[in-house]
Amino acid sequence: MSAISLQGIVKRFGETEVCRDISLDIAKGEFMTLLGSSGCGKTTTLNMIAGLEHPTSGDILMDGARVNDLAPIARGIAMVFQNYALYPHMTVADNIGFSLRLKGMPRDEIARKVQPVAAALELSHVLGRFPAQLSGGQQQRVAIGRAIVREPKVFLFDEPFSNLDAALRLRMRGEVKELHGRLGVTSVFVTHDQEEAMSISDRIAVMRQGVIEQVGTPEEIYARPATTYVATFIGSPQVDVLAVERGSEGVRLGQVDIPLGEAARAALRRHDGAVDLAIRPEHVRLGDTGIASTVRLSQPIGYATIVTVDAPGGGMISVRVPGLVKLVPGEAVHMHLDPEQIMLFDRASGRRLATDPLVPEG
Amino acid sequence: MVRYVTSGATSVTERSLVGVGIVLFVLWNTAPLAWLVTSSLMHQQALTTTPPDFSPASFTLSNYTEVFNSAAQLGRGLLNSIIIAVGTTALSIVLGAPAAYALARLPLPGRDHLLLMVLAAQMFPAVVVVIPLFIAASKLGLIDTRISLILVYLTFNLPVVIWVLRGFFLGVPKGLERAAEVDGASTWQTFRLIVLPISLPALFAASVFAFIEAWNEFFFALIMTRQESQTVPLVISAFAGQYQTLFGQMMAAAAISIAPVVFLAILLRKTILSGFADGMLKG
Amino acid sequence: MAIQGMSVRSTAILFVAPALAALMLVLAYPIVYSIWLSFTNASLSAGELQTPFAGLDNYMALAGNRTARGALANTIYFTVVEVVSVVVLGLAMAMLLNHPMARSPILRVLLILPWAIAPVANAVLWKWILHSNYGIANAILLSTGAIERNVTWLGSPLLALNTMLLVDIWKSTPFITILLLAALQGIPSALYRAATIDGATAWQKFRHVTLPQLKTALAIAIVLQTIWSLRVFDLIFVLTKGGPFDSTIVLNFLAYRETFNFLKFGFGAAIANLIFLVSLVLAIIYLRLLRLRAVEAR
Repeated sequence: MSAISLQGIVKRFGETEVCRDISLDIAKGEFMTLLGSSGCGKTTTLNMIAGLEHPTSGDILMDGARVNDLAPIARGIAMVFQNYALYPHMTVADNIGFSLRLKGMPRDEIARKVQPVAAALELSHVLGRFPAQLSGGQQQRVAIGRAIVREPKVFLFDEPFSNLDAALRLRMRGEVKELHGRLGVTSVFVTHDQEEAMSISDRIAVMRQGVIEQVGTPEEIYARPATTYVATFIGSPQVDVLAVERGSEGVRLGQVDIPLGEAARAALRRHDGAVDLAIRPEHVRLGDTGIASTVRLSQPIGYATIVTVDAPGGGMISVRVPGLVKLVPGEAVHMHLDPEQIMLFDRASGRRLATDPLVPEG
Repeated sequence: MVRYVTSGATSVTERSLVGVGIVLFVLWNTAPLAWLVTSSLMHQQALTTTPPDFSPASFTLSNYTEVFNSAAQLGRGLLNSIIIAVGTTALSIVLGAPAAYALARLPLPGRDHLLLMVLAAQMFPAVVVVIPLFIAASKLGLIDTRISLILVYLTFNLPVVIWVLRGFFLGVPKGLERAAEVDGASTWQTFRLIVLPISLPALFAASVFAFIEAWNEFFFALIMTRQESQTVPLVISAFAGQYQTLFGQMMAAAAISIAPVVFLAILLRKTILSGFADGMLKG
Repeated sequence: MAIQGMSVRSTAILFVAPALAALMLVLAYPIVYSIWLSFTNASLSAGELQTPFAGLDNYMALAGNRTARGALANTIYFTVVEVVSVVVLGLAMAMLLNHPMARSPILRVLLILPWAIAPVANAVLWKWILHSNYGIANAILLSTGAIERNVTWLGSPLLALNTMLLVDIWKSTPFITILLLAALQGIPSALYRAATIDGATAWQKFRHVTLPQLKTALAIAIVLQTIWSLRVFDLIFVLTKGGPFDSTIVLNFLAYRETFNFLKFGFGAAIANLIFLVSLVLAIIYLRLLRLRAVEAR
């Protein structure tokens, strides 16, 4: 039985349909991330799981029971908000203990419950301070403490790291992942940051315009994106999608024949209709032989250099070259696309041509 | 013409222009009040010579003691004004704050119509409602009672209080209320335990406004009171009519009447400026 | 949605109900009653209010009555001059106070003083300042040679109205200044830096940055000040009671005098309703402007 099950959820705000027919099963103890750009419906979906919003139609089940009409408090959930949403007029201890106080728990018992939580989050020495007197990381931990103290069945995270600086974000990401490993509580995490989603999740649901484009493990989503949207949304720098013609032994990019792997060739044979090609930057090699091209831009990022080159027949291709290399715009290069790593998509639907016979199409 | 500059570098011409502007500004805003205070401290004789006699001997505190003798009403007026202004302020906040919160945040049927009504209520000239209110108060025997003035002032202050507080509540981060809801707070608990405590500056600003309005109001007081519940503005107005040649005492009475609001205005200058002006510019 | 939504909704209604009830009782009912009164020939006889229906008589009288026409002219003159003066002066003061040299808290306190004091105290104060024999205004003007003998500021028709205007402008300017100052502070300073880089002069910055950015706030200031100018009462009551020769009578004061001095309730109500109508239109414009500002802010 799933910890959380969304069944055909539709949510409208007036005329706008924010979520259309969302179905998703989240297993007990799973860390599920809803990933998408702003306006894709991920936060609304999270709010509906929380009980802060209510679906226009469809059902939300928790442990098999329909919870559509239950208030947040009755769902056994806890939530960490964007900007933390700490109560500015309450001390750290009062912030963490607020939900217990609302339950009518006696003062000393609240203190007894708050203490171990604070200790686990290294907040014991700041219990008497107010949120404004804390560092960003401490504020974040208070928000988490407020969630933990209630011993919830489900943790919900609404872009909790979006306002932290880069270094702190990495650290908090690690802390949350470690916390999940320790407590094993079912968690739903919302973010627009694909790297964050990849690094923290058991599974990711990629959302776009109110629908789920693909659900899968980070590895699946990265290696076998279901659509061009997922392919371009995941990975940095972005994967390049190029329009190609069918050729004798594969596809043609402009005037150049691109060889394909066995599986891709088979998929192409089974498919009729126009196709697009996509390849990740790390699967393109620059060398002395191969497709002739010209360097447009070279961006060193430390452990690698991202080189943008002309694609035959127009468009650009990004190449990830290991280490720091010196290439100047206008320089002539040759490139080689790894045939086994080329992804083909149906141009009309954007769906990937299944290359693995075990994975059913669509 | 005063010029606007954001950088620190200002030319000499600009600095002198602004300097002159500041001097004119200070004179314009303070000279009349300075004269009020000065002449309230001067003997009648010194004030009625031309030009006024500013020698040290002209100064006295007697106007302040005597004004209570000449205007027997002043003491009672002060008491009435305090009771009425405090009562109005308290009721305005108690009734206005929840309404403002509902209008800002809760799913209220017909919210836009209510907002228009609240706003239009701010715009009513008092003279429109005074006749029916006078008739109603006469019938109910409420003429010359404090309660009738409190009720009237309450309704004239409520729209402004609601408007200002609503503007503030709109700016409270939604996440706080959601967090409270997830923590299990009812709407009322969210309002009382989260929203109100963090809205103290706005509550202060609205209270000061309500107090000042009630303290200063003249028109309704003129019509709805006779003797018993006359407020300070009425006493001052009557005094100015009756003893209009006792200039020093007249100014002493005026000074007494404006002292509380001047004090409040200085005390809560910041909240008046931010909370109130912003409120009037916010939809 | 049902259970949860319902309870929040009923809480919302509970939250507004008391305030709404008070507004209804003390505002809505009297307004309706006042509209009805204006169509009657209401009068008090033996302490009982008689309200024989009179149709449009009161409104016809409003058009035909010489005092009323004079009051209307005075009201328009008073309102237009006051609104223009207050907004121009308020803008100048707001810009002064927004200048880095003038951002002292003391100046802000001085600014709100005229606004905070009671209109009646203000009127009494000016009655003394403008006293024809012993007033400090005459004393100063005489000693500087600006006038040769004492001026009776409130004694002659046109001078009385203009003197009144000056006093009310003094009292009304601070609030508009506060309003415009708040709006000025909302203008992103980057705009001025950009204009400086583009080589704009001070006047060009005012003309092409400040004014366009303040447009809606200025419109709001104009609308609000118009509504407030239409309400002037205390000042007239204390200083002139409408005299000399009805030269300082405005509609608002006329409504009071007809009702409470001459006991012509119906006629008084008709005048009041005219002011109400104008104010209501202004209120609607104000709301539109607020919406506009909210959209601009986005």
